[in-house]
Amino acid sequence: MIDLTTVLAIVLMAVTTYATRIGGYLLLGDRELSPRFLTVMDAAPGCVLISVIAPHFVSDRRADLAALALTLLAASRLPLLPTVLIGVASAGLLRQFLPGTAL
Amino acid sequence: MMDMQQTALATVPQREFGRGLRASLPVMIGFVPFALVLGAQASGKGFGKVEVPLLTGLNFGGGSEFAAVGLWTSPPNILLIVGITLLVNSRHLLMGAALAPWLRHLPPRKALPSLFFMCDESWAMALADAKRRAAEGGGAEGHEAAFSLRYFLGLSAGLYGTWVVFTALGAWLGPVLGDVSRWGFDMAFPAVFLVLLRGMWKTAREALPWAISLAAAAAAYLCLPGAWYVPAGALAGIAAAWIGARR
Repeated sequence: MIDLTTVLAIVLMAVTTYATRIGGYLLLGDRELSPRFLTVMDAAPGCVLISVIAPHFVSDRRADLAALALTLLAASRLPLLPTVLIGVASAGLLRQFLPGTAL
Repeated sequence: MMDMQQTALATVPQREFGRGLRASLPVMIGFVPFALVLGAQASGKGFGKVEVPLLTGLNFGGGSEFAAVGLWTSPPNILLIVGITLLVNSRHLLMGAALAPWLRHLPPRKALPSLFFMCDESWAMALADAKRRAAEGGGAEGHEAAFSLRYFLGLSAGLYGTWVVFTALGAWLGPVLGDVSRWGFDMAFPAVFLVLLRGMWKTAREALPWAISLAAAAAAYLCLPGAWYVPAGALAGIAAAWIGARR
């Protein structure tokens, strides 16, 4: 039931995450950080998140692109739960009724 | 005035933990949908019912867990997973550095294990609490003792418990729902990420590196095999932030 490679990946992830949690306290606590460094650290998590979902933006299915547009609209003004429901419902329904590929 | 200071800083340890736990309640409610979605997504990617709480209990970092599950293959590309975890969680370095001056009254044997529980929410709430108490107490001594470790641990207990329990529950419910992409559940993933991004949004200027990341990642996705579009997009955006930042 438990896969060794999976457990190894999980443990290495956990060690990495814990290192980031104590690293700032141990290494950066007494230092002045340059504003430039702070700006980059501010932007970094968003850069990673948008990169992870980038393939959805270049999907070749019309239904998926339309559902993504609706989800984007919902995310810009609604809390998490309604946004997720709109995303899931629009993808599920549009795939039924809007076949075909984009372009 | 002296009396008020005494009341503000006189901490009954048990009450401090309870105060933190109560403060975490609204955030706990916010964690539940994220946790259920993550658990269901992970089980869709082949995670077992034990592996999901193992991941969320040992790592305890939602953003990195969503990213890792999204990129998960069988067998997993460990270098990619660890690299992405580091990128997503690099903000902890800054958060820890900002918290460090408030932890100086604690020995490392207490501070280091406590930092395991530092997440965006517990960090922000405990720091705000410490600043408020320092303002009420005043003086250098008040500043030192203003960070309430037990309040932080109460917050952490609520958030950590919720995260692990509800991701595990999501893993149990996932298989009941079947292939999540058939029902459009795969769209939950970009939905969660877009809401997270809106939470990080400050100004269009500061979000420009995200647009560059999106363009670079999309191009790399179309041209490169595997999941290397993520580091390609992330590094392009980070480089743009570095170039665009005022010195």
